[in-house]
Amino acid sequence: MAVRVAEEWLNICGGCEVSILDIGDQLLDILPALEFVHMPVLMDSKYYGQLGERDHMEIPEADVGIISGGIRNDEEKKIAEEMRKKCKTLITLGSCACFGGIPAMANMWSVDELTDKVYRHCSTTESAATPTENIPGLLDRVYAVDEVVDVDVTIPGCPPSPDMIVEALTCLLEGKPFILPEKSVCDECPAKREKKAAGGDIKRPLQPLDIKVGEPWENTRCFMEQGVLCIGPVTRAGCSGTTVEEGEEKVPRCIKGYMPCRGCFGPIRKGANPLVDMVSSISSIGLDVKQVVDRRALLNRYIGGQNRLKPLPVRN
Amino acid sequence: MPEDSFEPLIITFCCNWCSYAGADLAGTSRIQYPASIRIIRVMCSGMVHPNVVIDTLTKGADAVIICGCHPGDCHYLEGNLKAEMRREGIELLLDDLGLEQERFRLEWVSASEGQKFAALMTEMTDKVKALGPSPYSTS
Ligand code: SF4
Ligand code: SF4
Ligand code: SF4
Ligand code: FES
Repeated sequence: MAVRVAEEWLNICGGCEVSILDIGDQLLDILPALEFVHMPVLMDSKYYGQLGERDHMEIPEADVGIISGGIRNDEEKKIAEEMRKKCKTLITLGSCACFGGIPAMANMWSVDELTDKVYRHCSTTESAATPTENIPGLLDRVYAVDEVVDVDVTIPGCPPSPDMIVEALTCLLEGKPFILPEKSVCDECPAKREKKAAGGDIKRPLQPLDIKVGEPWENTRCFMEQGVLCIGPVTRAGCSGTTVEEGEEKVPRCIKGYMPCRGCFGPIRKGANPLVDMVSSISSIGLDVKQVVDRRALLNRYIGGQNRLKPLPVRN
Repeated sequence: MPEDSFEPLIITFCCNWCSYAGADLAGTSRIQYPASIRIIRVMCSGMVHPNVVIDTLTKGADAVIICGCHPGDCHYLEGNLKAEMRREGIELLLDDLGLEQERFRLEWVSASEGQKFAALMTEMTDKVKALGPSPYSTS
């Protein structure tokens, strides 16, 4: 019998769903084993019945629930709770659902400050009162899904890779656990390290790197040591995939594209504090942390939920 | 809380070989210093990771002091130099947490400097009293 799947998108950009579609041919292999019973991005199903006849929200029962996106408002919170109730196994898909994601950078401000900025102090729009009618109320901050309901499996990544989605679903179908190793992106990175920076200032993201496209990796110096902020040291490994073609090397996803890691796989282990660890790691190779622009946001770029980013306390 | 009734909680990490002995000397010499200091003995100042300092400051303490041997005297050769290298990063992290940089201090206290230890603790207590409770304080 096919496994029933329900999918929900909460506080999202839609990229995670594109990744599901991006699975491509492999999707055809696993599709017969799956039956999508609820998926707002692809099919029409109304929470309160097709004609709005129900008096409470309902999502069909499913074996597997997939949630992308964090939780920002009342409605999303309700949906997450209903998903938990109806799904035997709940998966969070993507960095937004797992850690709050990009939108959780807003957790550095209170909701009042945010709405004030957006509705009244934005130079390109006209001022207006904050809308209140017919829209769900904002929560005090962006929450990762696991702060609101229990989560069984996490698939991080912004966006998550199609291969990893297949792998996680296959594990589930075969009754095996899907757990990423507690190692860092650096542990899987082939760039050459000398344990100290090449010297000079920390570069801005678009300044050129010294890279030799197509050459073996031992000829490419670690980006961080070249002075480009690379969050690999404090980010969980996994984006280089579990399988590689014959004769190919395992390379983290962004590094493969000659870009530094931005940290989308989140902290290496629960309870780690990447901001603190990254500051230590930058200074330990002799770079000047002070030169990292917008340090707090940048080192928490995808992980502002779970209380990592919050408004600064008011000093007395 | 009125300022005079505020008793700060200051966690002091002392390395086993110099600073803890220095604190001990302050005690055996009957030198007075404020009771707001709680000493935690560690083997070396170099083993106090920034994570520990940040955790301490965000989970209840009003200030943190790390005391180690004078440069050149560390019993593990370079532990205190490591601590020194981490100092600036810790100060920046305090900025990121919205805390005053004065809430963290790294000092060298040898086994014979009981007087210095007590003076340092008194000075730090006064400074933290002036700053007021940490916004993360739990008491
Ligand atoms: S994790 Fe990335 S791709 Fe997925 S919803 Fe969030 S921002 Fe979009
Ligand atoms: S810092 Fe970046 S470039 Fe350097 S080894 Fe780690 S992941 Fe690779
Ligand atoms: S290299 Fe870093 S930012 Fe890029 S996919 Fe991997 S974890 Fe995410
Ligand atoms: S042993 Fe005292 S600082 Fe290392």
